[in-house]
Amino acid sequence: MRRLVVLVLLLAGMQLILPLGIPGHGSELLLTFGFLIIAAYSAGELAATFRLPRIIGYLVSGVLFGPHVLGVAPAAVVHDLTPVSQLAIALIAFLAGAELRWPEVRERGRAMLTITLAELIVDFVLLAGFLALVGSRLPFMRGDTRTVIAIGALFAAITISHSPAVTLALLNETRATGPVARTTLGVVLLSDVVVVLLFSAVLALARAAIPTQGVAGVGLGGTIWEILGAVVVGSVIGIAVLGYLHVVSRELFLFAVVVAFLGMVVARLAHVETLLTLLTAGFVTENFSPPGRAEAFRDAMERSAAPVFVVFFALAGADIVLADLGHLWIFVLPIVAVRVIGIRVGTALGVRISRAPAEVGPVWMGLVSQSGVAIGLVAVLAQAYPEHGDALRTVFLAVVACNTLLGAIMFRSALGRAGEIVEPHTGVKVGEPG
Amino acid sequence: MGTTQGLLLVVIAGAAFFGSRIAFGWMGRRWAVVSGAEYLLLGVVLGPHVSGLVSSETLDSFAPFTSLAIGWIGAQIGARLILPTLIRTPARFYRVAVVEALLTVTAISGLMTVALMWAMSLPWEVALMPALAMGAIAVVASEGSVRVAGESMPDRGPVLRQLEVSTVTSNVVAIAVVSFILAWNHVMPDGARRAPTTTEWIVINTGVGVVGGTLFHLFLGDDISSDRLFISMSGALILVSGAAEFIRVSPLLATLWFGAVLSNTTLRPARIIAALDRVQRPLYFLLLIFGGANWHPGVHGWVLPVALFLVAHIGVRVGAGRLSARLDGALGSLGPQWGWGLVGQGGLTIAIALSYVFQDRLPLPNVVLTAAICSMLLTEAQSARLIQTLLRLRLAPRPGVHAEDA
Repeated sequence: MRRLVVLVLLLAGMQLILPLGIPGHGSELLLTFGFLIIAAYSAGELAATFRLPRIIGYLVSGVLFGPHVLGVAPAAVVHDLTPVSQLAIALIAFLAGAELRWPEVRERGRAMLTITLAELIVDFVLLAGFLALVGSRLPFMRGDTRTVIAIGALFAAITISHSPAVTLALLNETRATGPVARTTLGVVLLSDVVVVLLFSAVLALARAAIPTQGVAGVGLGGTIWEILGAVVVGSVIGIAVLGYLHVVSRELFLFAVVVAFLGMVVARLAHVETLLTLLTAGFVTENFSPPGRAEAFRDAMERSAAPVFVVFFALAGADIVLADLGHLWIFVLPIVAVRVIGIRVGTALGVRISRAPAEVGPVWMGLVSQSGVAIGLVAVLAQAYPEHGDALRTVFLAVVACNTLLGAIMFRSALGRAGEIVEPHTGVKVGEPG
Repeated sequence: MGTTQGLLLVVIAGAAFFGSRIAFGWMGRRWAVVSGAEYLLLGVVLGPHVSGLVSSETLDSFAPFTSLAIGWIGAQIGARLILPTLIRTPARFYRVAVVEALLTVTAISGLMTVALMWAMSLPWEVALMPALAMGAIAVVASEGSVRVAGESMPDRGPVLRQLEVSTVTSNVVAIAVVSFILAWNHVMPDGARRAPTTTEWIVINTGVGVVGGTLFHLFLGDDISSDRLFISMSGALILVSGAAEFIRVSPLLATLWFGAVLSNTTLRPARIIAALDRVQRPLYFLLLIFGGANWHPGVHGWVLPVALFLVAHIGVRVGAGRLSARLDGALGSLGPQWGWGLVGQGGLTIAIALSYVFQDRLPLPNVVLTAAICSMLLTEAQSARLIQTLLRLRLAPRPGVHAEDA
């Protein structure tokens, strides 16, 4: 009840303030940023009272207060807040890397890789097959058979991606530790690399099959540099962080933000994958730091990231156009359904091949959410095939919206079923009825 | 902001920050030198009007952070206004502090009005606004210096107590004056049916802070876990600073009220203060760097008024201290020189100057900013040592002064 009162008061306060405003010096940006933190956080707590993941609350508040519904956060300001989302992605990647411990990677790495490959391949085949089958009925796939197959394969290559952001946010929220949590994180992170490689390969084949006037995009050589270069650049950043922690180890809060920002900018300048760069930096820092220092740094980074995460998901919600979902559901729902089936079957196959313990079975439920790298790839696709670009992007964003909302709920449910959620006050693992 | 520009800025500012943090941390412990002025100087050097390493566009893109830093300073001052603590302080300390602060504002504002009229051939109604802003700047006193000096003293005498009360009082008076300037010169917003009066703007300004603080209190409830506290406080403070900046009233006044409501509605104000202090340092240095970067030397005619301000500031502060102590009969316990302890200027000086500069339409913004920068550069680093010297002098036994005076 209190959360609702806060939300209503906030909204009323904004309605009083907005007519008195004289924009300038980024004040509107600051106002909207502060509003989104409080509003989204309140909505997150409201969601938690219904046993839903908090990020559902963040996303819904973004939809509600964003430019397409109440308009408290105008489109221009939401656009100006893009650096916050970029910073959030950098922080998420670093923290995700810091979650990976070398002994664990050695122990579970093979199983994770097998599950990742099986799940992605099965999902890709099912989705590409489905899209080829329904083909020309979809608004973004008009054309001859060759075009339908090529665009379908490209769309499938992007749609199979997962969301490190949602995964990490939920792991932070639930403090979950255990086979499901750790395997899901590993698969999600590995899949990001595989998806980038797969997409580049499919794009190269598609361009050979159906020439286009669009922007060429990154070739296979460029993609390999994007990935290998990211490992190199990330390692260098990680070593620099290690040096700082070893010699200075002060002002960690500020240093955490600087590292994320620097990593993001350096990755962009070096044309390497941002996510993988920060992921590697986080991994190096976590696994080679002096005892105690890595924990202190991770704590500082989590603290600096907390408000940024809230706004990141609220901004993701603000991008969801409900009207599009309304008239595209007939295309979107079958795609979402086929994807979920693909993930379910592929993960089961991967678990069986890798002979992983049966307890990691629910991992598939953690792989449904989607965001991050996929949105970047769809922009590349739209540039490569501008004649299909707008329709393709609209359908894809609607698919992402459904997958993110559904995926967050499913992952929390999986962690609950596996009994891996940690009660914040007692530190005891709790299970929930499935 | 271009990627390379942003990178360059972060690298330079980051390296300078960490370098000077380490160096001045050691110097502070060794010689009681308060860190701060070097960041201001760094900002001046990096700025678009000196070296041009930081462009005007970059400066504009970082403006929200500067506004947030201004707001954060206001909240920190407000959070220390805890009613039970204020009530326990004897009234005579407040009498001396208030009289001293008002004397300083009045004297500096009056003097600078005349000086600006004469040096820049301005009518009095134009010269009054920058003069009042300089009065507000002159009355700011560095809490950090008093704290650093106090920590090194074995005994807490009346001078230290008076300096602690006076710094808080002076800073509140300074915020009140700059808030009044902004409310007085407010333009009519496009969405309003009629132009609110100065009083109404001050009420709105106060209301933003009080409502923000109440909302925060309601939001937080009884659960004061550190993560929740940090996220909600950051959000509420960003919201209040942004709202005040958006309607072009003083973020300092709004967040001062916000901080005061926060501290006085919780059972554990120390946790609020600690949470505010944790992020204060990076924002404070950002404020100093961007304060310096906003400065440009190309305006003619500022040298004489600023030089006069610097001399007058010290003279008036010491004189006002002496006069206020004499009026209250406290000259015996405080001594005639106690006003020297208020000469040091903290980051609030720059926050006030930037609040004035960001209004865009007020006269002589660069003169006001120059006065603030010069004053801080001149006084900040040595102020803690000055206070230490003053306190040691007062601790020496003198004939005719009894312990009860303390």
